[in-house]
Amino acid sequence: MKNAIETKSLTKVFNKFTAVNSLDLEIPNNTIFGMLGPNGAGKTTTIKMLTCLIQPTSGQAIVGGYDVQKNPDEVRNLLGMVPQQVSLYKDLTVMENSQLCADYYGVPQDERDSRIEDLMELVDIKYAKDKRVGQLSGGQKQKASLVASLVHRPDILFLDEPTIGLDPTTKRTLWDLIRELNDNGHTIILCSHDMYEVDMLCDNVGIINTGNLVAYDTPQGLKDSLLESNKQEMTEALSQISEENEVSTSTKEDIENLSLKKMSILLNNQTDDIIDSIKKSSDIKSIEIAHNGRINLRVDGFDDMAVQNVINDIISAGGIIKSISTEEPSLEDVFIKATSEVNEDDRA
Amino acid sequence: MIEPKKFWWMIKKELISLKRHPARLVSILAFPIIMILLFGYGMGGEMTDLPIVVVSQSDGNLTDLTLDTIKTTETYHVVDVIDSLSDGKKMVDSGEVKAAIILPSDYDEDSSQQKAVTLYLDSSDQMASQIIESSTQGIFYRLSNVVASQTSVSTQNASITPSITHSLNSFKEDISLHINKIYGNIKYIDFLVPAILGMTIMMSCMMGMGATIAGERETGELARLFMTPTSVATVIGGKIAAKLLIELVRALILIFMAVLLFSVSIKGGFLQTFIVLVIGALCFVGFGIMLSARTSTQEDYAQISLPFSMPMMFVSGVFYPIETMPWILQKLAYVFPLTYLNDAMRGIMLKGQTLGDVWLDLVVLLGFTILFFIIGVKRFNRDV
Repeated sequence: MKNAIETKSLTKVFNKFTAVNSLDLEIPNNTIFGMLGPNGAGKTTTIKMLTCLIQPTSGQAIVGGYDVQKNPDEVRNLLGMVPQQVSLYKDLTVMENSQLCADYYGVPQDERDSRIEDLMELVDIKYAKDKRVGQLSGGQKQKASLVASLVHRPDILFLDEPTIGLDPTTKRTLWDLIRELNDNGHTIILCSHDMYEVDMLCDNVGIINTGNLVAYDTPQGLKDSLLESNKQEMTEALSQISEENEVSTSTKEDIENLSLKKMSILLNNQTDDIIDSIKKSSDIKSIEIAHNGRINLRVDGFDDMAVQNVINDIISAGGIIKSISTEEPSLEDVFIKATSEVNEDDRA
Repeated sequence: MIEPKKFWWMIKKELISLKRHPARLVSILAFPIIMILLFGYGMGGEMTDLPIVVVSQSDGNLTDLTLDTIKTTETYHVVDVIDSLSDGKKMVDSGEVKAAIILPSDYDEDSSQQKAVTLYLDSSDQMASQIIESSTQGIFYRLSNVVASQTSVSTQNASITPSITHSLNSFKEDISLHINKIYGNIKYIDFLVPAILGMTIMMSCMMGMGATIAGERETGELARLFMTPTSVATVIGGKIAAKLLIELVRALILIFMAVLLFSVSIKGGFLQTFIVLVIGALCFVGFGIMLSARTSTQEDYAQISLPFSMPMMFVSGVFYPIETMPWILQKLAYVFPLTYLNDAMRGIMLKGQTLGDVWLDLVVLLGFTILFFIIGVKRFNRDV
């Protein structure tokens, strides 16, 4: 079995509203999959169908080789879920909540407590095992929720906004933990609005909008394809301009900028001579000196050698580089683009 | 299929919650006691020590005997014995006393003529005036027997204008009324307590099921349970068992407090009373499940259950007999399960009936229970 999750034309209609519209999705085993999408896009409904919490209207979902409609209990045994809203019993301790979950999943009695203690050590919550969940901090609650969700050793773990509202340190601890769980063989489905988190953690990313999968690739692949589509747009736009000829210079620049990559350089020995010779570099499309002394450049984003050539030109002009940074399209840019396209389609 | 371990967890969880929230535990125990106290002392007691004044314009043995009798009657608190008629009326008019018993100047004269005692009564206080009127009639009826002379009591309603004076009657020695109370002397509190027990069980079962099902649906705990390979029957069954256990403890306290505070007698025995309450609790838990099967928040549940629980409270004969209500409400009463619970409770506690005697009530209650559970489980939305 290659895929942990496979859906075919999965659809959910509430009254007349189609929340998930014929979704085809494949999530390979033992990967971290990032599920992105704007609010109300159908992510939660998709997850609920995959976790047997609601029934699909039509289509098929296979989780761990089992059909969610035909073998729900088998599917349930394979799944763990850390919901966005911690749903442990507030009056019970971390230990009691974990025991309750273990018993509901039918974990063998003689293994139960030792398994829970191991998991508590793994997520570092053992010190609070006898505390009531209602008394825990946000991060501790998430960890407790993780223990309760992992106690039956699920193959597939759903994490819905697991780090929302957590401080940066706790966030990083959880990220490490998610990677560790993945290394241990768990397939992880991560729902998040934190693009950096998704970029950092996920092997594959799917963007869902208005119930459809609108993009699916690796994070880098998505970013590259954004540049690619920008280039296409630019070419189209420029060809239109040459036809009409009456477009302002600023619009032209905006269009060109779509395909340019930003670079920012700080030199130790910045002199007019050096700047002049840098300006002659053929790879630089625009240059300006910021008030803090940084040289802001734009280079051709599709030329793999452009950045390298600019650096070589600076060094050969005698410049000593103190710091250098480049700005690429982020996953956020991809997200905004992917979801806005569909919205525009909808409006049209 | 119901799995005992999962079942037990629901009970354990409720008990742990209660143990860790002493305030909640206190309120669960205090609620029935407050109900009993409120209804018992507030509504169920008898009226005594009503302030009156006696206007006596005569002297003699009969006057002394009459005054003694009035003073020793628990119903009255004799504020004063005066001889001025106008002062006596003034005291009633000002509201200082509820009534003035006016003995005429010829009261002690040995004559065969009828003696006209006047009761000057503040009839704006309907309850008090009724009690004073009947109790005064009683006193002079007994006195006329003792002295073998005719005494008549006429009542003047002080605050009704024009004041109505009506001569009640003259009591003849040869008329006697024998009252045969088949269930003995039953006070209002005795009538009230069995139904208060039923009502308390109804209210807490219905409110409690909303909190456990709709509330947990809202906070996501129910979703976590339904994500595990567990049947609806096990989850709901566990919740019912937990609720039932708590309700039964509460019912025990209720019965115990009613006996302790108001010396309410349980003629049909403790065990039978308890069994009837268990059946009632099951029925209302079922009602709660039926209503919460598709509600997604606790607030929704409260809105949905109120139109059922409030009318049920007033129409099902808790506070006054169903027969005294307008016909439409009487008809309505018979579609509410609380009516049958109240009837069975009164039968057992007041009349000393057995479960066999109230079988019809129990069958109806069990019928409702089965109906509620079937609808509840069928309609139950596992989707969360």
